[in-house]
Amino acid sequence: MESFVSTFDTVVDDALFWLTDHAAFVFDGIRAVLEGLYDAVLWLLMLPPFWAVAIVAGLIGWRALSLGFGIGGAVALLACAAMGLWAETMQTLALVVAASVIALAISVPLGVLAGLMPRLDRALTPALDLIQTLPPYIYLLPAIALMGFGPATALVATVIVAMPPAIRLTSLGIRQTPHEFIELGHATGASSSQMFWKIRLPFAVPSIMAGINQSLMMAFGMVVIAGIVGSGGLGETIYGAIRTLDIATSINASIAIVVLTMLLDRLTQAAARRS
Amino acid sequence: MESTEVLIDCQSVWKVFGDRSREAIRSIAERGLTKREILQQYNCVVGVSDATLQVRRGEIFCIMGLSGSGKSTLIRLLNRLIEPSLGTVTVKGRDLSRLDAAALRETRARHIGMVFQSVALLPQRTVLENAAFGLEVQGVPRDDRNRAAEAALAKVGLSDWKTRYPRELSGGMQQRVGLARALTADPEIILMDEPFSALDPLIRRQLQDEFRQLTKDLGKSAVFITHDLDEAIRIGDRIAIMKDGVIIQEGTAEQIVMNPADQYVADFVAGISRLHLVKAHSVMMPVDQWRFQAPGLSLDGLPRCSPEADIDELIGTITGSGSDAIAIADATGIVGVVTTRNLLLGVRGEPDARAAA
Repeated sequence: MESFVSTFDTVVDDALFWLTDHAAFVFDGIRAVLEGLYDAVLWLLMLPPFWAVAIVAGLIGWRALSLGFGIGGAVALLACAAMGLWAETMQTLALVVAASVIALAISVPLGVLAGLMPRLDRALTPALDLIQTLPPYIYLLPAIALMGFGPATALVATVIVAMPPAIRLTSLGIRQTPHEFIELGHATGASSSQMFWKIRLPFAVPSIMAGINQSLMMAFGMVVIAGIVGSGGLGETIYGAIRTLDIATSINASIAIVVLTMLLDRLTQAAARRS
Repeated sequence: MESTEVLIDCQSVWKVFGDRSREAIRSIAERGLTKREILQQYNCVVGVSDATLQVRRGEIFCIMGLSGSGKSTLIRLLNRLIEPSLGTVTVKGRDLSRLDAAALRETRARHIGMVFQSVALLPQRTVLENAAFGLEVQGVPRDDRNRAAEAALAKVGLSDWKTRYPRELSGGMQQRVGLARALTADPEIILMDEPFSALDPLIRRQLQDEFRQLTKDLGKSAVFITHDLDEAIRIGDRIAIMKDGVIIQEGTAEQIVMNPADQYVADFVAGISRLHLVKAHSVMMPVDQWRFQAPGLSLDGLPRCSPEADIDELIGTITGSGSDAIAIADATGIVGVVTTRNLLLGVRGEPDARAAA
């Protein structure tokens, strides 16, 4: 038994080494694309001065929720800048946005397919269960082996962790079309594509939006953990503060994380309710 | 309006549900097993058993039965929402089971509208968009389909509500939109699956009358499912009564009330008022028999009514004239006599047993 386990370990290690030796160009390519996306989002966020970003966020919060939430959100973002963490806050936001865009671009279509094909759904379920039961920082290890230190590794791990809720809830939403509306579609003579676009999808939108919200929250959690691999942003600030027992800085960074999380959570929930 | 052209022809249709329905159907076809034997031997449920019916152009055909009688299954066999296990359903001369997917969609879209008990209005769409849904599916351009939908909404009296959403409408109004949606595509046949069952009694009566009027005005044919015999009588030109998947009787309301096929139907019709249902031709006695019973009296002295006069009208005539008999006359002359005794039997829905004997 023991020899079997050590053999298995050796095979995994060898495979990983083989990949780094022979398929480096693939992972270098992936890394370049991921970092390009991250840099572009960060560049956009850092382009305007911090107060302009805070005002825009406040206006969106006002329109989407309430005046109180808008003012509160803007003040909270200004506080992040006042704590000297503006660049880190925006880096974290850029990581979350980039990771979520990639995760949703994969998981929403995949969830739709799973919703339409029960077999695919049954096949995906154990994989998603596995992803969600393993401790999330596990995904940092293979990523760091293949793509090294930096935001690209953080993005890969975050994308993996962020995908399951959106896949599950999208699939659920597509499957949950009330029976009478399926019957209406058939009785009206709708084709399968009309059935999907005109009946199934509109009924699935609230569930899909809830999935997007959940994925975003998972991405947040992971982006902070990914500070260990040099992702930049508030996660790395906290990781550094822990190593030097700098309690004040770690609390400041935590406050900034809470501010960002609350803002994105409430805004995406408001968007979900509107649909 | 009514003609003999058959729009829907349903011949010996069976529907068996269950994992072993194929085997069950084979033994029904080959050995004539009963429903009970099918359940015992194959663990299959017979939803519809050997149903034969014809719906003619311009008529409203009611299928009445309690829950579990198979009426909802039967109506879904008529547009192949459910595949028949055995038998054929022909709509406008085309055997539905021979149609490919595209032709079936086309038939449903153009020829068979459907209205559901649950209404099933799409909540994300306005009333107008819901009413236009059928034409949208057919690929009709927006302006054209909206025009047709507006016309259909006007027919059900909802022109002012077209920009509203379904949740803003009462149950009765929602079902009017459901009817408008079925009318927009201008099909010859409308399938009504217990459309008014969830509405309160007053609104329900109103919609029943409106529906009958509208269907007749537009010259549509309808199959109307209901669990309410009063509703079937109000709306239907002909009524089929279903029990345990079998059509146990089919006929006009008058035929069913006067000659119930079995005790089950008799119990059902027991509480139904005959006043407007039973007509003179069902209760009258032959002229010779009346002459025998009342020698010396002359037919000329009696008030006259047509064979289509209902009991209510006959009672009015008798109480108004002081005579205790009415001569029933059509274009050819006097065809029978209704006495007060005939009238009383008619109110109870019984044919004259003594006359028959």
